[in-house]
Amino acid sequence: MSSVPTAVSTDDPAVVPDLDDDAGGMLDGRVSVGLERRVVLRGAIVAAVVLVLGLFVPNIITDSYDMGVAADGVVLGIMAIGIGFLAHRSGLISLGHTAFYGGSAYGLAIATTHWGWSPTSAALFAVVGGTLLAVAIGALVIRITGFGFLMLTLAFGQALYAVSTLTSVRSVTGAFDGISVTYAGENTKFLGMTQAQLGAPHTFWPLAWISLVVVAFGLWLVGRSRFGVTLEAIRDNEERARFSGYNTYLPRLGGFAISGACASIAGVLFALKASYVSPDVLGFQLAGDSLIATIVGGFTILVGPAIGAVLYIYAQGKFGDTGNLELYMGLALIVTVIFLPGGVTGWVVEQFRRLRTLVAGRKGASRS
Amino acid sequence: MNLAQVLNGLALGALLMILSSGLALIYGLRGVMNFSHGALYMLGAYLAYEVTSQGLSFWLALILAPLGLAIVGAALELGFFRRLQRRSHIEVGLVTFGIALVIDRLIVIVWGDNTLPVRAPKAVDGTTNVFGTDYPTYRLLMIVVAIAMAAALVLWLRNSRVGLHIRAASHDTETSGILGINVDRVSLVVVMLGGALAGLAGTLAAPYFSVSPGMGQSILITVLIVVVVGGIGSVGGAMAAALLLGLVQIMGNVWLPSVAVLVPYALLIVVLLWRPTGLAGKRV
Repeated sequence: MSSVPTAVSTDDPAVVPDLDDDAGGMLDGRVSVGLERRVVLRGAIVAAVVLVLGLFVPNIITDSYDMGVAADGVVLGIMAIGIGFLAHRSGLISLGHTAFYGGSAYGLAIATTHWGWSPTSAALFAVVGGTLLAVAIGALVIRITGFGFLMLTLAFGQALYAVSTLTSVRSVTGAFDGISVTYAGENTKFLGMTQAQLGAPHTFWPLAWISLVVVAFGLWLVGRSRFGVTLEAIRDNEERARFSGYNTYLPRLGGFAISGACASIAGVLFALKASYVSPDVLGFQLAGDSLIATIVGGFTILVGPAIGAVLYIYAQGKFGDTGNLELYMGLALIVTVIFLPGGVTGWVVEQFRRLRTLVAGRKGASRS
Repeated sequence: MNLAQVLNGLALGALLMILSSGLALIYGLRGVMNFSHGALYMLGAYLAYEVTSQGLSFWLALILAPLGLAIVGAALELGFFRRLQRRSHIEVGLVTFGIALVIDRLIVIVWGDNTLPVRAPKAVDGTTNVFGTDYPTYRLLMIVVAIAMAAALVLWLRNSRVGLHIRAASHDTETSGILGINVDRVSLVVVMLGGALAGLAGTLAAPYFSVSPGMGQSILITVLIVVVVGGIGSVGGAMAAALLLGLVQIMGNVWLPSVAVLVPYALLIVVLLWRPTGLAGKRV
């Protein structure tokens, strides 16, 4: 899945001097934005190939537990690439995406269990609801940057957590007990899958994988579009963008909403798979861990956070029982931020690029 | 709302005041929101438990735990803040987030994950009559210590030479460096002091709340809120906001018990949207 085109990586200023070196370097290092038909087509083909290849994963991983790890990792990964998108394009670090993740998970659970909606309409409702929540919260917090933004998103997320645990709403959210998702109506299938099939990793996988690839491809398109470039201009110098005649508020709000929509999709998928929603989906731990997964994976590469999320879920399965998970998470975060600012994927891409310049340099030398 | 409830609010506010003034000092100087402050507070509480469980006096713990935490603070400053001062503040904040996770876990590895009791010293274990209300003496002690600490800290910042340097460096690190202030040394003093204050708060909290893993994380969010509400980096603002939050929280518990947990968040959201620089603005 790392072969999804990452035009993003070319904005590293370190590659700019390479432009003059030779023709090869120039082609590779060109800052490529915009949605020319040829590029979009190429991206779409790569995405389609990745999509199809990924569908065979259940044939390779036969063990149900491992498959569960992969599926959970992909679901969390959808939220993580949303957080990474916001961090990369707008430079905003959010500790509050659990609000949209958990909000939409609760939305699905409440709509199916309490209102008797079919899972399909409940899922649509939850994604739209989570996104609207992101628009509403974003409208309030998006003006504030840096620590203020981080604190406000954390506060909104934790406020929602506190709401979900109130005894006065126990009949709706189940407070600390959570809610089991039950499909009551006539149509109890989601895209042709029964609740048991949704709960089994092997049958759930295609849904999660297709969602991830579609979301990643969508974010790739958005990032390359005029809108994505505007976002980066605002990130780099908000004042200058404003003086150049851009409205800086709406694009940032749009970016936040898109990022929140990713978290909402992930939340719905989580609720569909787990069939059980508890306040943990809104908790501080998930907020912190999803952010750490995003950073360790590396958000300068579009799919980096998803890889971080899979690594996290794997580590959770391995160390969660001993209780040392948080210890390793903390160490991973410290090491990543200090030594690998681009995260794991950023580091890999950088090594790859260095190798390529080395090879290209040798070729150039032998030619002259 | 009776006097005992007001005093409860003050006791909570006192604890938050000690914690948040240290956090605000560090933020003012290094520009870093120290997410490990809750873990430092928890470490202070566990050190207090360790000292008292060795049969030593609680009063000794009140000195030893802050000293121990000052050393931890020095390690943080030398190992992380100083090395990373050219990095973006958010990145350093994330590193402290990682440090908090590590410290939290190390504490559980050393002391286990049971709730441990710490007894208040005999002299303050009873109740005192305050204007006709019997109130636990220990909580009064917390309030007194916090107020004394706050007064001493403010006087020190205002009148001493080091205090002057701290205020100057918080206002503009670069210029004060040019003017001959050794910002690294000032920062070492501040982070050690911040650690010591966290240790003091942890020790004071130990007999009040007992000692348990998770105590750091649960108070961290509240303290972060206090510092942001008070005006990031402002010690006076943080102290005022701590008392305000303590009282508002207790009032909420009394009058609106069903939604009282939302009080700190609501306060933060209202203040930040209405006055993004916090109540005290940018004053130190």
